[in-house]
Amino acid sequence: MKNTFRGGVHPEEKKELSREARLRRFDPKGEMVFPLSQHIGKPARPLVKRGDEVRVGQCIAEADGFISAPIHSSCSGKVKTIEKRRVLTGAMAECIVIDNDGQFTPFADYTQKADASALSNNDILQRVQDAGVVGLGGAGFPTAVKLKPKNPDDIRYVIANGAECEPYLTCNDQLMRIHSVAIAEGMELVLRLFPNAQGVICIEDNKPEAISAMEIAVSDKPRIEVRAMVTKYPQGGERSLIQAVAGVDFPITALPADVGCLVQNVGTLYAIQRAVLYQEPLYSQCFTLSGEAVREPANFFVRVGTSFAELLEANGGLIPGTPAVKAMAGGPMMGIPIADLNVPIQKQNNGLTVLAKDPVEEAEALMTNCLHCGRCTTVCPVGLMPQMMADAAAAGDLNRYEKKLYGLECIQCGSCTFACPAKRPLMQVFKQTKAEIMANKRKEGGAKK
Amino acid sequence: MNDLTLNLSSSPHARDRWTTPYIMRVVLLSLMPATIMGCIVYGWHALAIVVLSVASAMLAEAVFNKVVHKPSTVWDGSAAVTGLLLALSLGPRTPLYLPVIGSVFAIVVVKGCFGGLGKNFINPALAARCFLLISFASSMAIQPVVDATSSATPMGMLRNMEEVSITKMFLGTADGVIGSSILALLIGGLILWSMDIIHGQICFSVLGGFTLFIGLFGGQGFDPKFLLAHLCGGGVVMGAFFMATDYVTSPVSRLGQFIYGCLIGCLGALFRLFGNTADSFSYAIIIGNVMTPLIDTYIVQKPFAYRKIGRTRQKTGEPFRIPKPVVALAVIALIAGVALSGVYSMTKNSIDEQEQAAQIASYREACPEADSFEFSEEADRILASREGNNWGTEFGNTRINEFFTALDAQGETVGYAVSVTSKGYGGDVSLILGLTKEGAVRRISFTELNETAGLGMKAKEPAFRDQFEGKAEYVTMIKGAASGEHEISAISGASITSTAVTNAVNAGLDFYRTVMEGGN
Repeated sequence: MKNTFRGGVHPEEKKELSREARLRRFDPKGEMVFPLSQHIGKPARPLVKRGDEVRVGQCIAEADGFISAPIHSSCSGKVKTIEKRRVLTGAMAECIVIDNDGQFTPFADYTQKADASALSNNDILQRVQDAGVVGLGGAGFPTAVKLKPKNPDDIRYVIANGAECEPYLTCNDQLMRIHSVAIAEGMELVLRLFPNAQGVICIEDNKPEAISAMEIAVSDKPRIEVRAMVTKYPQGGERSLIQAVAGVDFPITALPADVGCLVQNVGTLYAIQRAVLYQEPLYSQCFTLSGEAVREPANFFVRVGTSFAELLEANGGLIPGTPAVKAMAGGPMMGIPIADLNVPIQKQNNGLTVLAKDPVEEAEALMTNCLHCGRCTTVCPVGLMPQMMADAAAAGDLNRYEKKLYGLECIQCGSCTFACPAKRPLMQVFKQTKAEIMANKRKEGGAKK
Repeated sequence: MNDLTLNLSSSPHARDRWTTPYIMRVVLLSLMPATIMGCIVYGWHALAIVVLSVASAMLAEAVFNKVVHKPSTVWDGSAAVTGLLLALSLGPRTPLYLPVIGSVFAIVVVKGCFGGLGKNFINPALAARCFLLISFASSMAIQPVVDATSSATPMGMLRNMEEVSITKMFLGTADGVIGSSILALLIGGLILWSMDIIHGQICFSVLGGFTLFIGLFGGQGFDPKFLLAHLCGGGVVMGAFFMATDYVTSPVSRLGQFIYGCLIGCLGALFRLFGNTADSFSYAIIIGNVMTPLIDTYIVQKPFAYRKIGRTRQKTGEPFRIPKPVVALAVIALIAGVALSGVYSMTKNSIDEQEQAAQIASYREACPEADSFEFSEEADRILASREGNNWGTEFGNTRINEFFTALDAQGETVGYAVSVTSKGYGGDVSLILGLTKEGAVRRISFTELNETAGLGMKAKEPAFRDQFEGKAEYVTMIKGAASGEHEISAISGASITSTAVTNAVNAGLDFYRTVMEGGN
């Protein structure tokens, strides 16, 4: 038995570009932009106004409501303005803009390590909440909320996601090699909240150095084990990991906690350790700069609010003469495409990939009719039949799409689109169809009222 | 940094290297062993059919695209695959206009008119084949090429419950369609399967369903020879690996594919056993094709979370599987091994049989009056007492092999037959010495004679051979014309051969006397 899920694809890893580049801190110059919404849930509420002096780690916006997270400054300087700025998705969003004085004066001392045993469970949760920790795997769900499931005693597995199955990204690999002890301590802190849980650190087997570093770090921690996973996309998906570790599948309407599992990215665990033991808020995270068009692929601890463009330009920029045709926040499989690099890096961003060739453009030229080859069905990690879903969506048969084919179960990992030999944009269709079905449901719900 | 123009599109921003033309090229390559084998066995006409069929399919595709103003899809390879499959399912002496008509029908009517690649509801190549079968029945009949003495193809013989050569069918050297080499088809099919291009659920359930049905209802049980003969003929293997697995006209769900495969296998067997055509398998696949939309509508896969097995599964991950290429290679090796040993054992048997038949014929020639031959235990006992069957140095170390009493239809003794071997010029000289009841030479017939052509080989000719007839005493060989009663004249220039024959005859006479005298 191998540790993995069913289905999945093998995109080219491309990790060799940056895998040996050491994590280093990048200190930007110039203004820093902090969108108020860097997480799932309600945007944070600003605590500062124009002209206020702020320092590194100072809370500049507080959580508004249960599912929300505070935001902390990653630089020292003066608040320039609070206004709508363009953000990653291309939309305009409310942002706090700070004039960076380049000093990076800390707001408090973040070097004193607290004694973990002196902290109560409530202290842990409060410190995670106050530090504004969100899920760093990509979605940005507030971690403090995730750590408070209904029945903490029912959690059987706390899974640390160190799979890093996205091509190009290597920052988690570097983080696990260098900060393995901190990650293990973060896991220990989380496990204290779940007395019946076992900690499982999952790492794809293409990262042997990270695996051995983590094994050494957990050797004195009986509740934590390290498991090497098959290198396969989307191994780092929440459902893929739970299927591999606990052997359960669950519908999209259920939460991992419903099947006794909790998944945290290794970056999040590191942030939890910093937040609880050093009371350092989340204002920087690990980040990979890579892609064929990038001159010096590298791994960073990058400050939230830094512009993608500045990070790229200050670190070698693009290779002259190589066309940069596509950029995305994250890796190519699930990354968010960026039209304008002058937007701020947010908490949940873990990479910038700039490609010299656009596989999507090339694929469009190769598109043929669907062959019904069934590859999409073979690779779907959920067990769906994407080709039939696309047919049903094209025919406008939303009932079959939802009820017979379980189309809403799609986790939008993109494996089907990747694998399709006819180069059909399957997942894109599913995104639209899901939006359409949800809109219809809201309409119906409104009509009933 | 602001002068960058970056493409925007939804993720994923990566694509696999598999494309439609890639798949079609692999399928074309996997059909090459069968194509090459067909062209070697059936000659230039077969090659002409293949070339014409592929070329006209591609041309039809190009012209059709032009006429209906669609982007050209000639080079995606699907038309070439259709043309090649059609060619391989035609007889090697089919008139050359038929593959052209068939390819155009397949591409224009079956594929193009229904919307092109991926839209046809039945396999174009099969549809074209059936169209030709119905429209040009006599021209489509498979003309024997290899075995011109037989009027029937193996499939025809099988229907008439005659014996067929499985080995020939397996290798593709029997009469049949161009792509009839099962070995070549299996190699191609297993490669496709190991590359995950065709679904194992389909091809193996077709073969399984077919075998099971033939075994249950074929009237000969699960006799491996009978099953193999059926599996090797009538396009079952080509259908299972290359026709039924056509993506467009087969179901997508695993269960659906299994049902579809079993349906085709069973229908093919049903038509084969109780229908009156050798082309039953094509029709079975076409019926499977038209059932596909129905299967796809009702049989869909539930997500793992909604499957019973998915929920209760305790173990995690995927079980270890032997990699498919390893399985495919092992199967090919196994098949080749079995085929070779089969060829050997079959030819070995027939060689033995032929030798035996020749022996019996020689005995009859030596004793024309005999109806049957009785083994003589007395002679055997005498032979056993002599070391190595050697019969005396005075006869040049000749060897007595066997001794029989010749009986007529009433069981009365009419004579005797002795098998003797002596040393000639080119190796052993073996003959059957036929004796009359009185002990005079009746006739001799050679069972082994490898002497010099034109010299020693003249021993077979009546001029030399017939001199021995009627001799009851030891004979003496002289050079030149024989004058005495007990003399024979040697073949000029072949005294060693003549001596060998004379020695053999004398030894045979001597042995006869010994037997008659009770072994003294």
